[in-house]
Amino acid sequence: MTLRSYQVGFGDCFLLTFHYGTQRRHMLIDFGSTAKPKGAPKELMMMVAEDIRRHCENKLHVLVATHRHQDHIGGFATSSDPDKEGTGDIIRSCIPNVVIMPWTEDPKAETDAKHATTIEGKELALARNTLRDMEMVAASVTEEEKHLRFGYSLSEHLAFLGEDNLKNASAVKNLIAMGKASRALFVRYEEEPLDLESELPGVTVRVLGPPDLTQSEEIVSMRSKDAAQFWMLQAAAGSTGKAGKVNGNEKYVFDSAGPFRDAVPTAPHLAPPHTRWFIRRMNAIRGSQLLRLVRVLDNVMNNTSVILLIEVGGRKLLFPGDAQIENWNYALSKPDVVERLKDVDVYKVGHHGSRNANPLSVWHGFKKKRSNKPGGAVLQTFMSTMAGKHPGGHNPKDPHTEVPRESLVEALKKETDHFSTQMLDSENVFKEFEIKLDSP
Amino acid sequence: MSSPAPRRTQELTIIAQDPSVRVNGNILTAQISIPAEELAPGPRGYRVQIVDYDSSTGVLHPPLEYRILEDGTYNDPFYREKNEVLLNDPQFHAQNVYAIIMRTLSRFEFALGRRVGWSFLGHQLQVAPHAFSDANAFYSKDDRALLFGYFPKADKPSVDNESEQENLVKDPQRCSWVFTCLSHDVIVHETTHALLDGLRRRYTDPSSPEQAGFHEGFADIVALLSIFSLPQVVNLIIDKHFIEKRKEGAKVVEDDPQLIDVESLRFEELRESLLTGLAEEIGNELDDDEMSGVRKGALRRSVKLTPAEYSMEKLIDPDQFDEPHLRGEVLVAAVMNAFLLVWVKRIRTLGSKTARDQRSHSDSPPAKPDNASPRYVDNIGPQEEISGFLSRARVVEEGAAVADYLLTMVIRALDYSPPTDLEFSDFLSAMLTADREIRPDDSKYRFRQTLLQSFEEYEIRPTSKTSGPEPGIWEPPTCALRYDRIRLDSMLRDPDEMFRFIWENRKELGLEENAYTRVISVRPSVRINPDDGFVLRETVAEYYQYLSLRALEVKHLGIKIPPDMRDDQEVRLYGGAALIFNEFGQLKFNVRNRLLNPRKQTSRLEHLWNSEGSQAFEVEDPSQKRFAEMHRIRYGTFPIDTDTEGDWEDGYAHEKIEEGLKEITAPEHQSFEEADEFVPSGQIDSP
Repeated sequence: MTLRSYQVGFGDCFLLTFHYGTQRRHMLIDFGSTAKPKGAPKELMMMVAEDIRRHCENKLHVLVATHRHQDHIGGFATSSDPDKEGTGDIIRSCIPNVVIMPWTEDPKAETDAKHATTIEGKELALARNTLRDMEMVAASVTEEEKHLRFGYSLSEHLAFLGEDNLKNASAVKNLIAMGKASRALFVRYEEEPLDLESELPGVTVRVLGPPDLTQSEEIVSMRSKDAAQFWMLQAAAGSTGKAGKVNGNEKYVFDSAGPFRDAVPTAPHLAPPHTRWFIRRMNAIRGSQLLRLVRVLDNVMNNTSVILLIEVGGRKLLFPGDAQIENWNYALSKPDVVERLKDVDVYKVGHHGSRNANPLSVWHGFKKKRSNKPGGAVLQTFMSTMAGKHPGGHNPKDPHTEVPRESLVEALKKETDHFSTQMLDSENVFKEFEIKLDSP
Repeated sequence: MSSPAPRRTQELTIIAQDPSVRVNGNILTAQISIPAEELAPGPRGYRVQIVDYDSSTGVLHPPLEYRILEDGTYNDPFYREKNEVLLNDPQFHAQNVYAIIMRTLSRFEFALGRRVGWSFLGHQLQVAPHAFSDANAFYSKDDRALLFGYFPKADKPSVDNESEQENLVKDPQRCSWVFTCLSHDVIVHETTHALLDGLRRRYTDPSSPEQAGFHEGFADIVALLSIFSLPQVVNLIIDKHFIEKRKEGAKVVEDDPQLIDVESLRFEELRESLLTGLAEEIGNELDDDEMSGVRKGALRRSVKLTPAEYSMEKLIDPDQFDEPHLRGEVLVAAVMNAFLLVWVKRIRTLGSKTARDQRSHSDSPPAKPDNASPRYVDNIGPQEEISGFLSRARVVEEGAAVADYLLTMVIRALDYSPPTDLEFSDFLSAMLTADREIRPDDSKYRFRQTLLQSFEEYEIRPTSKTSGPEPGIWEPPTCALRYDRIRLDSMLRDPDEMFRFIWENRKELGLEENAYTRVISVRPSVRINPDDGFVLRETVAEYYQYLSLRALEVKHLGIKIPPDMRDDQEVRLYGGAALIFNEFGQLKFNVRNRLLNPRKQTSRLEHLWNSEGSQAFEVEDPSQKRFAEMHRIRYGTFPIDTDTEGDWEDGYAHEKIEEGLKEITAPEHQSFEEADEFVPSGQIDSP
């Protein structure tokens, strides 16, 4: 089999190709980006999409969208112009047989909830509403951030996290549609592997995350209520100061700024001298509140990631999306999962090399690291990222947040056969790796 | 012709509790008395500056300016205003916040007998009544500010109600707003944080769960007692919970609603009606079903936590009250329980009248001997039953008076509390001692005895094991102290001279010689005995000690370290004392926490290590972060950051440290002089 890591800048796009004699079957895991690398052509995403179509000869068998962040599904967005083909249209034309998404994306959940009598139904509905509120928050944060004159790094943080979390309506719609057209799997942690025999015979695909409500202690009743409440309150609070609708969402509409009619924003240089220091401080406080909010938002979203363990021909490939430790916890509580993870051969680095999405406990479990002297091929790691998009580190209160995290990258280089899309020069849109399988 | 003497007090209207507490549909207000001063537009006074900036909308509201009247006071522009104005005029919000903060400040100054400073460099606290759009309010020391948020009152998000949701709030008029700056208890609570931080800076250091919970608990106590000291609020509660909801079989005098049926004043019933009533009133605004996203959940829980419930809860889960914020709630419960006990006792000693006698007898004189049978009341013989009525006004007055005095006691206790590693048992001894010093005769109200009794029911016993007629009070120091090289006069004012005294007597006072020591404050105080008018002059000084050691070194000092703590882990220890001098400069009390106290430090290290790991000892001053975090937890706002996984560097650096450690010489050869002379950033020593 081969693995293609595409250059999408800050984002993920991996194409797995399984060779069955002369036949080939393809699995695409994520396709999205929030920033192109410097010097890359404007149509980079188009080029990637076309290459994918070419390589898989117009036929995708399995499509995985690990979670709804833009840097994972942005590429599935379709073009608004019916005469032009967007990247999402191209992918769609490959008519994937199966579309895999996390259970939180299941549109049925919402309709069921209306008539939900079971606790689980209500919880699902709560989760759906929460998702919607969270989007609102992301939108309002990016709005609010504009009028607060922050230092560079704070703005960067906010923008990075906020943008990523905005509703990727077109992409989501396209994914659902593709799923409807063929087979959609809204997955959660399962003991048994998925049934993909007809698409990828001989390939075992296990879902290790996300846990669903009944599985995860974290999301048990009280807390999901807290969460829902929190996001609702935040969404409501965040909609002040906006005129008209927010991001197309008609849930909250105000025609004045905040609770006091006729209140007009003040230019800071016109504020009385004795207030200026304080106003600056308050803006900074507000900024860090927003940042915290979006961070949480980001974490929650990341934790909806699908975690896939693919076993084929004696090799194990781990694709965890952007899952953080909370998502992993349920799976890691199962001893057989922990056992299974020990001899992973290929690991896709979570969240483009951020600290949170590569839990130490998982890392420590890998037995094929160089220092363990595995006596066979060393663990291979793949990272799809771009430096400089999220510099972090400038804010002294926030020292470990740069992406990719330096100490992580060092560890990867030292202990594994490491590849990062940062290593690609501007001419190459991808790099292909052969994964040697044991002959059947 | 001379001008009239300047008025000392200013009357201003505030909202008594919060906008949900109403009488006949009108928001309950009160006109309170605060110190008069020359105000700049804002209002901006000498301690508090209102800057009405909203960081969510970028709006700076115009300042409130007062008009001077003939007698030199300011006009109260919001006296008897309608709901609409109170809710929607940002200038009223500014007044509300200003007045309540000043009232709280002056309560503290009255109790302590001196001016109370802020913990930051500067005299004026900045206050933003509409700081941001968020269900939150907090004190920020770094920003020298109190910030109050606001948010739209979202209607319930019933999932069955998609269509209703779409109609939601298309009309801003329909949307109602919740302003934390209109909640009396929130304002007092946050102001208390600021004041406590000024008085006991080191209470935000990492220590025990009780110290961590103390800030919140203490702030809640001050908030509750402040509200209870407003007769309007007590009156309202009595109205709602006695008059309207009178119990079955209780008698009522139809033609005089000013009388309360004394039968309903048995302790349990009183507790249920009054405290529950208060809890309900403070709960209303921000509680809808389970929507308690704001701290009032905590206040209500404390208030409802009877000793019986406490015992039961402990049986179910013995460890649950070890959590800092719950621990704080226990403190509140103990104090409020004491408050009720005293109030009931007071009411019982008041005369009771039967319906027949109501017009012909005046109120009975107070101050009956405590063990007088409750059946003895004026003009009614001991054989007669207590059936009858009490003047409601008197009941309310007593309640307000008891709350007021208890508030003073609680604030005074701060001076007598150790400045580091506080435990509730210390605070109890402090309360008893402080009260005994100012008012030796406790026969009228029996406050001290009742506090002891009440705290005992929550399993808190005083640190001091003195017995006798006044159990639990601090013992005077037994050692002989040297004053011969000290300039007494200077010592009672100057931190350097005070430190000289401390250093000269370091062995007697039990200081750890090798630690970094600093005198935090030297403050004179003047208090008046309410019974006989005599003046008590004291000087209160605080010093603290700090030592940073490696875990291995700590082990050698007899302090146990947690089993999984690495030997090279940096550990910080604190110690210190509050020294109370009489007017002649003699040391009355040495309220001390020894730096190297094995028991205290062992349990402190264990607690910190288990709850926060190495983060508790990080170089960056974690105290403010912890403070904010505790506050967030109290507000019950999801989500809570729990970053327990540690960093990639930690994992990799660990091995390097192991190697490095082997190169270090045996710890016995290292001396304590190498301990850091770190000044925690809580001290702002230079601008």
